[in-house]
Amino acid sequence: MIRLKDHFRVQTGVGPPVTVGDITVTPQFEAVIVRLASSGFIWNRPTAILVEQNGHITRLPIRDITRILLLWLLSFSLLLSIMSFIKFSRRKVIRP
Amino acid sequence: MIDTRTRVLSLAEKTSEQFSSLFDRIFAAAHSESVYSKPVISGNYTVITASEVTSGGGFGSGGGIGPELPLSIIKKRPDEAASHAEQVNSGGGGGIGGGGGSAGRPVAVIIIGPEGVTVKPVLDVTKIALAGIATGIVMLTTLRKMRKMSKG
Repeated sequence: MIRLKDHFRVQTGVGPPVTVGDITVTPQFEAVIVRLASSGFIWNRPTAILVEQNGHITRLPIRDITRILLLWLLSFSLLLSIMSFIKFSRRKVIRP
Repeated sequence: MIDTRTRVLSLAEKTSEQFSSLFDRIFAAAHSESVYSKPVISGNYTVITASEVTSGGGFGSGGGIGPELPLSIIKKRPDEAASHAEQVNSGGGGGIGGGGGSAGRPVAVIIIGPEGVTVKPVLDVTKIALAGIATGIVMLTTLRKMRKMSKG
């Protein structure tokens, strides 16, 4: 039986901490792994950094602005296409 | 014939093993070193680049073996084929193919300085501009169509 777990995996991890003076930065990442019998794909991206200073730990997320903007543009054009499709199909129904 | 079969099978096995090790190397990209660069120190500032890494690949292989004498003749005259079995040369063939790729894109820059730690996002202007142009074209085409429809 083929299990999704064997082929699709989301792995999170942390990198080696970097210490500068009294600041320690620990990077975090997330990897999406797709492994099939004769092909595979991996998408590894940074998610956040943990900043430790004077005993306080702060999590600073890393936002991919380019991807967010691209997704916005894609959703906008998709929405526009759907709206125009609905409008055209309605008109076609009204005509006869 | 058996020799050819063994050769083809061993070749396929060897290829599969080689591709498997190649995959292991591709999947080794799932660690922090591929995402975060080594810290670069410049004066009071330490800079680390955070990038998005995508890699993938695939392969395929196939092989075949058979007698040189056409199958139709063997079926029609099995006795003759059997008597010439030793003389009949066997043929075999195989092929493999594969491909892969990897891409990386900087996402943010982490700056550690006297003011503390800041995360500055990296904007890929070319990508955004291309996507914007594509969206603009879609929008204009749709508007033109809508205008035509409302007129007609």
